[in-house]
Amino acid sequence: MDTAPISRGFKSRREERAPKNRLPPGQHVTTDFPVLSAGPTPLNTLEKWTFVVQLGGSQRGKWNWTEFEALPQTTKKTDIHCVTKWSKLDTTWQGVTFDDLLKAAGLAEPPAPYIMAHCDGGYTTNLPVADLIDGKGMIATRYEGLPIPAEHGGPARLFVPHLYFWKSAKWVRSMRFMERDERGFWESLGYHNYGDPWKEQRYEGD
Amino acid sequence: MRAIESVAPPVRRLEWQLAQVREIVVETIRVKSLRIHVTGWQGHRPGQHVDIRLTAEGGYQAQRSYSIASAPEDELLALTVERVNNGEVSPYLVDELRAGDQFELRGPIGGYFVWTADMSGPLCLIAGGAGVAPLMAMLRHRDGQSSRPLTLLLYSSRSLDDVIYREELDAMARCDPKLGIVYALTRKQPEGWTGQRGRIDKALLARVCFPPEQNPKIFVCGPTTFVEYVATLLVEFGNDPLSIKTERFGPTGG
Amino acid sequence: MAENGSQHVLDGNAAAGLLQEIFDGEITSALIQCDACDSTEAVGSLRLYASTMGAVLRCNHCDSVLMRAVRTPHGHWIEMKGARCLKL
Repeated sequence: MDTAPISRGFKSRREERAPKNRLPPGQHVTTDFPVLSAGPTPLNTLEKWTFVVQLGGSQRGKWNWTEFEALPQTTKKTDIHCVTKWSKLDTTWQGVTFDDLLKAAGLAEPPAPYIMAHCDGGYTTNLPVADLIDGKGMIATRYEGLPIPAEHGGPARLFVPHLYFWKSAKWVRSMRFMERDERGFWESLGYHNYGDPWKEQRYEGD
Repeated sequence: MRAIESVAPPVRRLEWQLAQVREIVVETIRVKSLRIHVTGWQGHRPGQHVDIRLTAEGGYQAQRSYSIASAPEDELLALTVERVNNGEVSPYLVDELRAGDQFELRGPIGGYFVWTADMSGPLCLIAGGAGVAPLMAMLRHRDGQSSRPLTLLLYSSRSLDDVIYREELDAMARCDPKLGIVYALTRKQPEGWTGQRGRIDKALLARVCFPPEQNPKIFVCGPTTFVEYVATLLVEFGNDPLSIKTERFGPTGG
Repeated sequence: MAENGSQHVLDGNAAAGLLQEIFDGEITSALIQCDACDSTEAVGSLRLYASTMGAVLRCNHCDSVLMRAVRTPHGHWIEMKGARCLKL
């Protein structure tokens, strides 16, 4: 295979040193926080915001902003990895874990094995419930101690850092339980259905 | 539907080619033009762009798009690059790159935002900052023709010092009564400036643009907010939306 | 219309390279009709999102997704169900 010609003196400005075991294959550490959206940033008034947990045709849980903020809060400091090859280390997020959400919805255990997250603007992403429970996933409302900026998914985004960050869907409004897996926005267009950065599962067929 | 556009040469498969920097031209404090040689370059149409790719030792790659600022008739290809603060590629191209350096390039790309001298009608070019680059390719191409349409360049810039190609533009306008150039200086104006202060507005458009009945070919290029704002004004002014061609620059990839 | 971090929005021109790989030809000057609101625009003038992951091209009038495209090591993907037709 041909190697691309080197451009003298060019290097990634945003690169930082990272201990090798912190970075999944093919990733580079960045100090900034690139914005990537599949659509315009929704205008959201907190007065109208609701979050729903859906099973079949029924709503198993529904919260307005005040109610949602009153749910148990968890803070997590971890690394995030974008499929476009940037990683950001030691980022701090706060929100409601999926476990606490289920409890608040009165669900002793998840009623179905898969979830589709639905977001303002129509974006979707699918996940196995097993990748959300036991603290693995949350609905985040704070980033570095402050409300998540709108362009980064505020007021609330899904947060599932052990998978590529497209799964941490911005502007999430509902989580719908599914008996069978269905592919979301990127998963139905060539991206990997699961998205484990440590196995470098970027694309369907990887 | 609309009139058929002029027949274009067949589009080749896009492949990465080697580009070598021959000359670097300082345009303003933030902007340089790279004059490059591309082996086997087959030519382009004014308004098209290229993708460039830089590879660092160790394999890291970055890719960006830049409009071609030179005319198809020019010997070398010119790319005009503005340094974006905290950018990754533009600071390298503006501050580090030297004659003799190389990178990969593919193109020409794009068939929508294109003007060639065989297109009839007055030509209205509206530029925001570095968005003037593809419009300059059109003007340079036009300048080489024996027959030229009535043309207006409306160029919005922070200050006169930030106007790219200023001497060349002023020289073109001096020699050509069919070319009008109007500057809108948004942040700083020189002593005694009688031109537009602040951004382009409805009143300025009314004063300088061709009336819609003349069916001008309109090209607007610059940052996204600028392009959408100007396009909205142009439509309110009575121009058919399909006659307004836009190219949004974004933060030029940084 | 919803506001956006609009400096991150480009247009179909910026996706021209990817689209040319897929269509094996130039389509940014083609006209595309939105199935949701009927408006017709040139592909090059559509708002482009997510350009680092592929291309999501949206209608300027109603924000409907007209075209989505991705380049992967295993091939290209394109979906255009939001468009009623494309006139080349």
